[in-house]
Amino acid sequence: MTGMDKATWHRYRKKLHRVIIYVLVLLTLAVFSCPILWMVSVALKPAQETFRFPPTFLPVEPTLENFGKALNPVFLRYAFNSILVASSTTVLTLIFAIFSSYSFSRLHFRGRKPLLVVILLTQLLPLAVLIVPMFRILSGLGLINTYPALIIAYLTFTVPVAVWFLRGFFYGIPYELEEAAMIDGCTRLRAFLTIILPLSLPGISATGTYVFFVTWQELLFSLAFMTSKSMRTLPVGVLDFIGEHVTDWGALMAASVLVCVPVFVLFMFMQNQLIAGLTEGAIKG
Amino acid sequence: MTSTDKALVSSSSGLIREVRRLFWTVRDHSLFAGTLPYLFILPTFILIGLIVVYPILQAFYLSLLDVQFINPQGNFVGLRNITNILQSSIFWLVFRNSAIWTSVVVLFQFGLGLATALLLNQEFYGRTLARALIILPWVTPGVITGLLWRLLLEPNLGIVNGILATLGVVNPNIPWLSQPSTAMLGVIASAIWKGTPFSTVMYLAALQGVPEELLDAAKIDGATGWKRLLYVIIPSISPVIRITVLLTTIWTANYFDIIYVMTEGGPINQTHIFPTYIYELGFRRGKTSMAAAFGLVTATLLLIFSLWYIRELNKRKALE
Repeated sequence: MTGMDKATWHRYRKKLHRVIIYVLVLLTLAVFSCPILWMVSVALKPAQETFRFPPTFLPVEPTLENFGKALNPVFLRYAFNSILVASSTTVLTLIFAIFSSYSFSRLHFRGRKPLLVVILLTQLLPLAVLIVPMFRILSGLGLINTYPALIIAYLTFTVPVAVWFLRGFFYGIPYELEEAAMIDGCTRLRAFLTIILPLSLPGISATGTYVFFVTWQELLFSLAFMTSKSMRTLPVGVLDFIGEHVTDWGALMAASVLVCVPVFVLFMFMQNQLIAGLTEGAIKG
Repeated sequence: MTSTDKALVSSSSGLIREVRRLFWTVRDHSLFAGTLPYLFILPTFILIGLIVVYPILQAFYLSLLDVQFINPQGNFVGLRNITNILQSSIFWLVFRNSAIWTSVVVLFQFGLGLATALLLNQEFYGRTLARALIILPWVTPGVITGLLWRLLLEPNLGIVNGILATLGVVNPNIPWLSQPSTAMLGVIASAIWKGTPFSTVMYLAALQGVPEELLDAAKIDGATGWKRLLYVIIPSISPVIRITVLLTTIWTANYFDIIYVMTEGGPINQTHIFPTYIYELGFRRGKTSMAAAFGLVTATLLLIFSLWYIRELNKRKALE
C-alpha cells in the first residue's frame, strides 16, 4: 500500500465513523422519543382511527376532540388538587431543607456526620413500609381525604432529597464571601440571609423544580389517602379514562399529554441547574 | 455602617427598627450563635421524627397484632405474622419477582445509560438538542409511562404488535401484559425506557470531568477504544457510577407506579413486587397487620443490601 492510499483509507475510516455515530444517535433518539410522539399522535387521532390495525403512525385527520373530552370539569378538579398539593409541598420542603442543608454544608457542630447519615438513611426506606401505619395515624387525626394528609406524606421523601440537593449547591458558593461579610461585622445569620440565600437562588429553584416534579407524579400515597373522587390528584384521576371493557385511548392519551406538559416545560427551563444539582449532590454526598 | 444597613434603617422606623437592631446585633460568639447549627436542623429532625420514625414504630407495633379491616383493634399475635410471611409461597414469589425486576432494570439502565452517554459525548451536529430530547422519558410521570406502554403493548391496537405484523410474524396479536410468560418482560421494558435517561445524564455529566490529558496519553500509548473505556474512562467516573447504581437500585426496588398501572401485579401475581403487593394486602384485602409486617421485611432486605453495597465500595476504595 502506498502512502497516498493510507491517507485515503484514513479519511474513509473517519467518514465511516461519523456515519455510524449519526445512525446510532438517530436510533437512540427514535427509541427514547418515539413512544412520546406516539402518545401525542394518538391524542390527535379521531376515535375510529385509534382502532385501525396495523396502526397509523401519524394521524390521518388530526383533531382536537380528544382534548375537549379530557378537559372535563372532573379532570380540572384533579388538576387543581395536583397543583395545590405539589406547590404547597414544594414551598414547605424548601423551608425545611434550606436551613438544615445550610447548616450541614457550612457550619461545624458536634454530631454533624451522624445526623446527616440519618437524613440519607431515610432515603433508603421503602415508602411501602410507611403507607400502612401512616394511613392509621392520618385517619386517627381525621385527615384522610384532606390536602394536609398528602402534603405530610410527601414531606417524608421530599425533605431528605432536598437537603441532599441543596447541600451540593451551598458547597458551590465560595466560603470567602461569608467570611468577608462577617469580618465586616455581619452576623452569621445575616450573612446567610443577605448573601448566601440570594446567591443560591438558582440552586433553590432547581431543588424546588425537582420536588414539584416528584410530587406531581406521585401515585401510591395519593391512591391510598385520597379515597373520595373529588380529592384525587392527576396521577390517580387520569386512570378514570380506562374503561371496564373499552378504553377511550384518544381521550386517555390527551389527558396524559396534559399531565406531562407542566413538568416538561418546567424541566426545559431548569434542565442545566437540575443536572448540576443531581451530579453535585451525588459526588459530594 | 454599610450602605445596605443605611438603606435598611431608613426604610423602617420606630419599633420595627428597634426589633431589627436587636435581631442583627446577636453576634457569633453569643449563646445564640453556638446553637445556630442545631436551630437550623431542628425543624427537619422534628419533622422526620413525627412523620418517619413514629410511623415506623407504629409499623413494628402493628406487625405484632392481627389488625384487619374487619377487626380494627386486633389481638396480640407476636411474631406470627413474620413467620407466616416467611413460610408463605407468595412471599418467595414476590421476592423472586422483585429480585428479577430490580436487577434486570438496574443492569440495563447502567449499560444503556453508559452507552448512550458515551455516544452523546461524541461531536455531532445537533448534540444539544439530542441531549435535551433523550431526557424526556425520565421526566414523563410514572403513571403516564405505564399507560403509554400499556397502549404500545396492546394486543390489537399496539404499535409493537403493529410492527411485528408488518414484519410478517405469523400471529402478531400477542397479549404481552396478560400472559404470565411475557408480562414481566413488558413492565421491565417500560421501566428501562423510563429510567435509562437518568443514568445517561449522570454519566454524561461525569464524562465532562475525565481528564483530557489522560485520554490523550492513552491514545499515544496505543490504547484502543475498549481499553480507554475500561482503564481510563470507567475508573475516573466510578464515583458517579457507584452512587447512580445505588440510587437506581433503591428507586427501582421501591417503584410502584408502572407495575400498578400496567398489570396491578398480575397475571396470577407474576409481576407483583414488594410495593405493589403491600398495597394490595393493606388496601385491597384489608390485611393491615400483614401489610405492615411485609413492609418491615422489605425494609430490612433493602437495608441489608444497601449496607452491603456501601461496605463493598469502601473495601474496594481501601484497596485502591
